Order: sequence, then C-alpha cells, then structure tokens
Amino acid sequence: MSSRKKPLGFPSIETKHMQERDALFFALQNLDRRAFLKLSAAAAGVVAAKGLMPPHSFQPVTVAHAQSPAGKLESFRFAYISDSHLYDRTLNDRFINALMRAVDDVNALDPQPDFVLFGGDLAQLGQPKELELGAQILKNLKAPVRMMVGEHDWYLDMGEKWRALFGAPTYSFDHKGVHFVVLNSVVEKDFWTARKLTPMERMRTVAGLDNGVQSPFSVGDEQRAWLAQDLAKISAATPLIVFSHSPLYKLYRPWNFWTEDAEQVQALLKKFQRATVIHGHTHQLLTQRLGNIHFHGMLSTAWPWPYAPEGLPNYTIQMNRPDPFNPNDGCGNGAVFVHPDGLVDKLYNLWNRNPVTVKSTYLASSGKRDKPLAPNLPSY
Amino acid sequence: MTKASIHVWLTLGALLGACAAPREAPAPAAPAEPSAAPKEAAPAPGTKGVEVTLCDGKTTTFAAEGSSGATVAGALMSEWLRKNPNVNWEAEEHERHKLEPAADNKALIGMTNGQTYGQISAQDVALWKAETERLALSGSEVFHSADQLGSTVAVSCDMCHPHAANTHPETYPKYQVQLGRVALLRDMINWCIEHPVRGTALSADDPRMRALEAYLYAQRKGKVLEYGKR
Amino acid sequence: MTPSLLLSIRRGPLRSWFSGALLLSCSATLPEGARADDAHKGGAPHGAMPMADQLAMASPWLKPSVGVPPGVSPLFFQSIVPAQLPNTEAVVALGRALYFEPRLSKDGSVACATCHDTSRGFTDQRGTSEGIGDQIGKRNAPTTMNALFFQTQFWDGRAPTLEAQAKLPITNPIEMGQPDGDTAVAAIAENPEYQRAFQAAFARAPNFDDLAVAIATFERTLVFLGAPFDRFAQGDASAISDDAKAGFALFNGKARCTACHQISGSNPIGSDNRFHNIGVSARHQDFEGLVKKGLLALEKSDSREALDELALQTDLSELGRFIVTRNRSEIGAFKTQQLRNVGVTAPYMHDGSLVTLWDVMDHYNKGGEANPFLDGGIEPLDLSERELDQVVAFLFSLTDDRLAAQNRAEEARQRALAAKQRPMRDEALATRKKFLFEDRANHAREGSK
Repeated sequence: MSSRKKPLGFPSIETKHMQERDALFFALQNLDRRAFLKLSAAAAGVVAAKGLMPPHSFQPVTVAHAQSPAGKLESFRFAYISDSHLYDRTLNDRFINALMRAVDDVNALDPQPDFVLFGGDLAQLGQPKELELGAQILKNLKAPVRMMVGEHDWYLDMGEKWRALFGAPTYSFDHKGVHFVVLNSVVEKDFWTARKLTPMERMRTVAGLDNGVQSPFSVGDEQRAWLAQDLAKISAATPLIVFSHSPLYKLYRPWNFWTEDAEQVQALLKKFQRATVIHGHTHQLLTQRLGNIHFHGMLSTAWPWPYAPEGLPNYTIQMNRPDPFNPNDGCGNGAVFVHPDGLVDKLYNLWNRNPVTVKSTYLASSGKRDKPLAPNLPSY
Repeated sequence: MTKASIHVWLTLGALLGACAAPREAPAPAAPAEPSAAPKEAAPAPGTKGVEVTLCDGKTTTFAAEGSSGATVAGALMSEWLRKNPNVNWEAEEHERHKLEPAADNKALIGMTNGQTYGQISAQDVALWKAETERLALSGSEVFHSADQLGSTVAVSCDMCHPHAANTHPETYPKYQVQLGRVALLRDMINWCIEHPVRGTALSADDPRMRALEAYLYAQRKGKVLEYGKR
Repeated sequence: MTPSLLLSIRRGPLRSWFSGALLLSCSATLPEGARADDAHKGGAPHGAMPMADQLAMASPWLKPSVGVPPGVSPLFFQSIVPAQLPNTEAVVALGRALYFEPRLSKDGSVACATCHDTSRGFTDQRGTSEGIGDQIGKRNAPTTMNALFFQTQFWDGRAPTLEAQAKLPITNPIEMGQPDGDTAVAAIAENPEYQRAFQAAFARAPNFDDLAVAIATFERTLVFLGAPFDRFAQGDASAISDDAKAGFALFNGKARCTACHQISGSNPIGSDNRFHNIGVSARHQDFEGLVKKGLLALEKSDSREALDELALQTDLSELGRFIVTRNRSEIGAFKTQQLRNVGVTAPYMHDGSLVTLWDVMDHYNKGGEANPFLDGGIEPLDLSERELDQVVAFLFSLTDDRLAAQNRAEEARQRALAAKQRPMRDEALATRKKFLFEDRANHAREGSK
C-alpha cells in the first residue's frame, strides 16, 4: 500500500486487514521481550484451551519450567522423522525429496528440539547406498540425532552397514531426568536359511508388509535380558520412554503391526509410573494405552499405510483417509512434548493438513478428556 | 506336458513376458503330443524355415518349413521352461501373499434335476475354484511387483495397499473429478500406475490389468457393492 | 444516451470489434453523466478503455439474457446459481449499467469495468490492480468472464457469492474508496434513469443490496465458454492444432494439471474450487518469517469478524486462504483459478508475478517453490520444451471465439517475450536432478537461511 489513509466510516474487510496489520506491526515493534512472551504465551494458552495445539513450528519460547514433585524434571521437546524408505537417487526422487522436506521442517523449528529421533526404515532395501544417502541427508539436521533401526535397514546384511554407520542398534540414554531406551524390535526368527534365500530375497520378503513368509517381529530373549538389567538401574518413578520400530503390542499380525513377545516386554515396563512407547512401522496416527503404558505411532515421510481391518485400538482416532492425488497426504514428521510429569503429548505434523496433537491427558484420562478431532474421511 | 499345463505356461508366459500391448497368443494352444524334444540342434544349413519368437522377445526357435504349429509351440515352451524353472509360482505366491478364497460352490454338486447342463460335479467345482483363484493369484504377483507393473521408480501397489487394503473396488464406478469422467476400477488402477508407480498405463485387456482387477475383487470379497461411494 | 450517440463515440480501431447487431440489441440506456470519462483523452483513468467505448465494443456479448446461458448444462447451472434471485431482463440491464458506472467510486474514476475491463480480457492485464488515487494493491484482478462458475470469489475465497464480492471493492479504500455502500448508492440514487431502472428491476428505490444483486446477475450472463477447444471436444478434429491436442493429453496425464484444473462437462472452467499453496507466495519474501509472526498472535474467536482482530505482519496478502480459515494447512494457499480465456488474462497468479504462460509452465515444471506448506500435488514434471509448448498451445485454445483476435495477438506477444526471457526455468529441478527441498535441507547447516 502506498498510502495509509485514515478510514472515513465503516471500513471494508480489506481495510480492517490493513489497519489491524499496521497497528500490530507497530505494536510488536514496541513490545519489550517480556510483553512479547506474554502475548505469545497468552495466545498459545487461548488456543490450547480450545483444544488446539499451536503448530509446533511456531511454538513460542518454552513457557516457564515447571517442577515435578521430585524437583528434577523440566519439560522439553524432541522431534522425530521416521520411515523414509529411501531408494538410490537415480531410482526414486519422491522419497528422497520427502526426507529432505522433513529435515527442512525440523530445522525450521524455533526453538530447536533437544534432539531428533529417527524412527527406523531409513533405507527401503537395506542397501549400503541407501543407508549412506540417508545418513548424509540426516547430517543436515541442526539438532543431534538418535537413530533407531527398522526391518528395511536390517535384513539385507543383518545390520552390518547399520552398525558401521550408526553404531549399536540397542542402547539407552538419559535426558533431563527421563530414561530413554532404543530397541531393535524387528528381530525375526530365521525363515531364510531353510528356503535358501539370497540376502536380497530375504530383504524383499521382509520389505513386503503383507508378505506372509517372514516371521513376526520380536524383541527377543537377548534384548529382553539386556532391557531387564538396564531398567533395574532406575526407579519406578523415573519417566521412561521406549523407542521401538514395531509397536510393542499386538495389533494386526498379517502386516507385522505386531511384536511377538509384546507381553513380556510390557511386563518389564509395568512397574514404571510413566512409561511411553514411541514406535514406527505403522505410517499412521496410532494411539494405544495398555495399563500404565502409553503407545504412540510415528508418521512416515514416504507413504501412509491404511488402517488395519481389525485390531485397531479403541483409543485411536484415525487420521483422515489420505487422498492419492496428493503424494504427500498422510505423511509428515512430528514432535513429542515431554511434560514435567514425564507424560507426553504427541504431535503429528501432517503435510498439507492441520497438525494433530494427542495429549497426555487424553490417555491419562482413559480417553475421556481432550479427544482428538474425528476424521471426516475414515478408512473403510 | 499336458494340455492344461501348456495352457498354464502360455498364460504365465503372457503375464511374465513383460508384453505391454494386447497381443494374440504366441501360438495356438493346440493339444500337443508331449514334447520330449531336448534342446534342438541347430538346423541343418540350407533348411528352409522361419525364426519364431515368443512374445517375451527373447525366446526363439527355428521352425522348419512344414512343421506343425503344435511342434513350434512345444519347442518354444521347452525353451522358455529351461530359462524359467520357477514352476512352483502358485504355491510360492500363496505362501507370500494371502488370497481370499473364491466362492465355494460345493453345495451345487450332485444336483441334476434331470438337466444335463445343470449337472455339477466335484471336478467342475474344483476346476472353477482353481482357475478363478489362479488369475487372482497372478494379479497378486503383479500387484506386488514394481517390475511387472512397469514402474520406473521401484514402487509397487502393495506399498500403499497391503493385501489390497484401501482399494475399494466395490465403490466403482464413481465420478472422479481429476479424471474428468466416471472412473471404472481399471481407470483408477491406470491412474495409480501412471502417477505413484510412474509406469505406462495398461490397456483394458492387458493380461496384467485383468489379473489386477481379479485380485482386487478377490480381496474385497463379501463387501457390499456401493457404486459412487467416497 | 441514444443508440445513435453511442455510434458517434466509436473510434477507428474499435470498428473491428463492432458487430452489426450491436445498437439494436441495447435495450437499456446509459444514464446521463456516464460520459464524464470522455474528458480523459486517450483512455479512461487507470488505463482502462473508456466506459462508453467498452459498452460499444462489448455490447454483442452483453445482450440482456436470462436463464441458463447457451452451452451450459441446466443441471449444472441450477447447482451454482441461487434459485431465488430475480433474473429478469431489467435486473441484468441495470447490472450492466452499474458495472460500467464510475460514479460508484469516491472520485468517480473507478468502475468495475476499470479493473475488469471488457477490452482487456475482463481484467486489467496488469500485475496488480490500481484504484483511486492511483494506489496499487496486492492482488491480481481475476477475470469476470465465467466468474459465476466459482464456488467462492476472490483469490482467498473470502466472498461466498458474486453479490458479496461486488460490494467489497466499492468500500475498499484503495479500490473504489467509498466510506460505505450507502454513499455509493447516493451517488446515483438521484438520477431519474437509475431510479426508473431500480424500480423496473426490484420495485423499490435504489439500495446497496439490490445494487449488488443487479451487478451479480449481470455478471452471470458473462459466459465465455465457446472456445476452439469446445468445438474439438464436440467432434471437430480440425478445431485446434495438433500441438494443442497433444497438450490436452499432457494436461490430463504427465503434466498433472487435472489434479487441480479439472475441465469437463460438469466442471467447464478448469478449477477445483480449492485452495493450494503452489509456492508463488513463498518466492520473493521471507514467507516463513511472515507466517511465524502471524501465527504468534492467534485468534480469540471463531467469527468472521474476528478476522479483523487477527494481527498479521506486512504483506499478509501472501498468506492467502489462511487469512480466511486460519487453517495452518492453508498457509500461502490461493484458489485454483479458471483456465478459460487464460490466453487473454495475463499476467498470472495472485500477485501477477508470472507474465507469460511459459513462465507458468516453467513454474510448475520445476515443482513450484519449496516452502513448508507446499501442496504435495506439486511435483517436478520433467516436461520437455516441446511438451511445454504443447500445453501452452492447448491453453491458448481455451479462449472464447469472440476474443480470437486478441488471443492471437497475446499469443504472439507472449511467445516473443518468452523467447527472450524465461525467469522461472530451472532444468535441474524439472528433470529431478536436484530435488525441491535439497537446497533448503543442505543449507541449514551453513545457517544461510
């Protein structure tokens, strides 16, 4: 606008735009930092009260650190990118571009998350070139990255390249009072030796979600033993977050939305007052609660899965059925807000859709409060 | 080789030969005397004849002048079999990808009502089931194979549609705005092949299209027809 | 004004537009005073053709017509036109007079036909439009041709009907600048011709709502769907060139245009009526900074009036549909525009930033402009130069036959311009050698963005 004329009377909607815009711009320039934060916190509070979370990319600076009864915990946030299923650059461009888009999204977060979880299935067929390409793209993340392995990364060479690039697939760490465990939960019983499959045949078998030749995922005796002794070191009051590629519960066997020894793993988590599982593999919005454990799925950057015809947890409010005419629909990345009490809000940053947040209070209240929005296009 | 198995191999050859265009059968599926001929010797120099190539573009045989069609077909099939020892594709595909069974017509067996055309035997019922499922099964093979779909980006249908979930063949025909017309199932299949799969659209009577449709309908067995549903 | 006076206004070069039936078909007369713009030599204010000249030139197209326009399916027409509105000849005639009436503006220089000029594709063929006091706005003027077929009006869909749309520019300070609708009405209400016209149309005195209804009803007669492409679609194989036919095939296939620009019997204009971020808004400013600041101050209420209270940064125009719906998914999203007559409605996009159809094709061919809200349907297309030419040929075949000469001139002009400059072209992106988000992802570490 070349001139700012005072309105003469009843202004049109465009006039009001320009006026308010000018007024706030002027006002914003004159806010001191405290007033600015108050403005944004208030705005965020209003939105939160309406049951909408502000888009995570534009979350105002963290509100005051709340103290837990133990006096040790602060709230924090980590982001996730998962299931990128990369092919070589010359073969498929879409999946690579999508991962780059996710990296760009996470890098745009302000403030930056404490770390970024990669949720598994970096490569599509576990090939060294695919894994290296993925590693190279993820290096562009500004925040530190924690890697988790998926079946697509593993079954070509049984994890050899993964270990070389990213280290041990199973490990734990502590962050701001929360204990994190990362599992390789895609262990399958040997189905390939008897059939004399080549490594690539084995990989392709596992790569087919609906391929019935492969075995169900599991954590396995060895890892469960490791998990037991790792968890023995921490108290039941310590918030626990487990990263797993398979869901660590039994949802739908034909698609390996399944962990064979789920009950045994859950038994190890049973003693904790606040235990959360963040899992990949399912490429959709998925929510479950079993006893004390909250389960949240992660989105894929590459493609969405449909919902299983049976076994869907009651807690899950489906995301809208993806529209095939938008190749990004149903895909995205997201974040996890860890509250001072150790419970989490799970944000799904769906591309070209409003973000969806599944709040800790939803699961904590057994689904009575803060229910996410119902889809208008459910799976059928 | 029996008549039935030649038919199977010819069908299989048509499917797996990566022939995109509709074509006539490579050779008449005439009953053949069991062709026990081993790899044929090179034709004697000066023998008149013609080189016959199977529709896969690779398998060839020399047909000497005057040889019968059945001999040519048999020779081609032997050659093809030698190169493609995967005879057990059905059992393997069943193991890999669950297929909904076709309708069981056993209740019809043995009821004649004095009508010859209505006379159903157990063999009939078994044959119907086997053949119907075989086409659907070959559709499952195409469905799960980026190569057979002609994808240039290594994407196969099962990547978004495990077990053909979310394909909803029972909702077609329906008006699809982006296609500018009422889409039949095959139109939507072709759209998917052109865009997410980035291949070339199949013609309506391409064996792969027929097989894919069969597979999709098979997997949605029991669903209510509701054309136009979104 | 009598028909004979109209004849005398015609200038030489305009004769080519004149068709014999013109005078006799005019059944409404322009009220006195509407010839004020004759005082501007060489054209009306803001670059428009003088109103009287426009009327003279366009009259064959502006016959008062009621009911379903020829060539449009009655079923489809009924679904988009409010059934209860009056649709008599008198209303249409009044609306036509008002469309060309500059006295509705504060300084008498701007009519609807100033920015929706019948000689310039029913738009103004400028990047963004100019209003009273020579103020330039932020948005490109969409054409009024076929505007009736949209589900919403404006680039951000903030007006649900043509009636709602007609009112807003009248009271916008940089467009027609009236303080309110009643002042605009008062400017013409004393005129006995208008009084007679309003009585005939609505059986009451002039008022703002009826004014809007009249203009909208007139605009509903502006159906321009008689293009060479339509003749081709009806079976005349020679109606369009082979290139255009190939372009149509690409349009429906490899070029992915039908993801948003569907053209069919029941959707004749080439728009899905939805809002998509294709990256134009992100190209030449700190789009994300703008969005960040805008989102920091969120609405406190759901009502449309609360829009006013939403505090936004400069260039908020670039946020597009987000301003109306406050949906994060619609940040930087603008309405899919029609493709009809696109040959004569350059320049293109909400800010008029793409000057030729080749620029438009280059923009889409490379996958738009990467930004966090880019519509996933926008992808690099890897179209060759020849294929781009073919799609452009198809697009030029969508212009109504009545504008054929202008269309040819435009095609030549755009072709010459495109031969010299192709600012949107990016072969690496178009051929997928470089990926859309690659630069953004890779530069993060360097902290350059």
